Amino acid sequence: MKNNKVVNWHEHVWFKPGTKELNEEGCDQLVQAASEVYMDYLVCSLPISGGMPRPEDIRLCNDTVAKAMKRHPKVIKGMAFINPGYTRETLDEIDRCINELGMVGVKLYNHYFASDPIVRPIIEKCIDLDIPMLYHAGKLTVGPESQPFLSNGEHFAKVAESYPEAVILHGHIGGGGDWHWSLKAMSDYPNIFTDISGSVHDAGIIETTYKMMGADRMLFATDGSFAAGIGKILGANIPDNDKIKILNNPRFAKYLERGMQ
Amino acid sequence: MIIDINTYIGHWPFRQITNNTPEGLVNLMDKAGVDKACVSNINAIFYRNVQDGNEELAQQINSCQQFGERLIPFAIINPAYPGWEKDFSNCIDDLGMKGLELYPAYHQYKLTSSTSVELLNMAAEKNIPVHLPCAIENMRQRHWLDTKEDLTGDNVAQVLPLCPKTDFIITNGPSTAIASQLMSLTQGRQGKIYYDFSRIGLLNSNFEKFVIAVGADNVVFGSVMPMQYIETQFAKLHYSKLSNEEKEKIMYKNLKDLLKL
Repeated sequence: MKNNKVVNWHEHVWFKPGTKELNEEGCDQLVQAASEVYMDYLVCSLPISGGMPRPEDIRLCNDTVAKAMKRHPKVIKGMAFINPGYTRETLDEIDRCINELGMVGVKLYNHYFASDPIVRPIIEKCIDLDIPMLYHAGKLTVGPESQPFLSNGEHFAKVAESYPEAVILHGHIGGGGDWHWSLKAMSDYPNIFTDISGSVHDAGIIETTYKMMGADRMLFATDGSFAAGIGKILGANIPDNDKIKILNNPRFAKYLERGMQ
Repeated sequence: MIIDINTYIGHWPFRQITNNTPEGLVNLMDKAGVDKACVSNINAIFYRNVQDGNEELAQQINSCQQFGERLIPFAIINPAYPGWEKDFSNCIDDLGMKGLELYPAYHQYKLTSSTSVELLNMAAEKNIPVHLPCAIENMRQRHWLDTKEDLTGDNVAQVLPLCPKTDFIITNGPSTAIASQLMSLTQGRQGKIYYDFSRIGLLNSNFEKFVIAVGADNVVFGSVMPMQYIETQFAKLHYSKLSNEEKEKIMYKNLKDLLKL
């Protein structure tokens, strides 16, 4: 499998602690670690998980990702972090990140459910630009109050009903939470994809996702959990050619290629 | 050689698990290159009378010579239930089990309760270790009927002074944080403390940092098969910069010595 490209569709770069500057050392270590484990591309964002980040905070996050992209242009591709709560500024920011900074999609966090009407203009913008939306997601069965607007498969299914042309990427099916719930809720919608990242590496999670979604709708990713990401894909009892597909899903190749122009 | 401290057979009530028989587990071990595994019976956690689960385990292991050569039975004892002393004696003296495994969160007792402390000291007298899994499944996905508690560093810290000669193996938890918390309590202690690394990440050299902090003499290999992919643990060993001598201690030598194999 080493002869095939490996695209990690869910990673992050961060600010240096206590600053609003790119953590260059952390960024370099991430790229070095990726190289050691044969990952070719890291699709990175810099989300703000708490509160209600303002447009200027978000621009700073995306500018920082752009610095990481410039620092490692052959490896790091960018996802534009956005907050749907500021519609006009967010639409402008998507344009800026995709058309000026060369990012490949948008990253939404847990500020609003994906099916909230406030997200509709964002979805329509992504459809217009033909870019994927990576959504932080999970069905927390313990402590759901910690993320009250965390989207899960049910929310994505509602979006897919209204927008069958949208490209919706459920973030980290192994990111913690009832992954069966999300898979059952969204598996019937062909425009919903999932990345396999997250620290949860339950035996069967990949086989079940494969059975319900198919390799065409699965993308390799780690979201900070390199060992679990590698372990899941190596340990899964699915055909090697489908593992190769998940490691570099051809359905998403055009997005990655756009980020290389 | 690899000896795995943390494997199961038996029925997990909250999601479908495959390879959860001695035959299935040994097949997984063969595929992964694991020579021996310490195993307990999940049924013993959920039966009101744990001993029925322990006897099932013994019967199944004794049903085939290969199982007896590969699987090392650990007894799950509930010191809050009548007859636990007899269960302990039966498991260790008659059924030849090599260690104890305790689930205070499932059996709803405190490690510091009088009968628990008595049991822990009995283990020391018999010269057998006590395995304390912090959890079985990730907290964030727990079924509504599953426990909402994990074993914590505080739980262990409180009981250590009450059973100074008991050897403990702490697994499937935040090993780095627990080891750091217990550091001052374990120095000079007669009984030893071992940790697995099943939930430690690969990035930022976290695995190596953990081994350096606690010492390779105190780290053991635990996979949580058949509930989790063992390849996740192999990824950490494979990509770590530990010496072969350190890896050998972690993969089998420490457990071989502890269990007198």
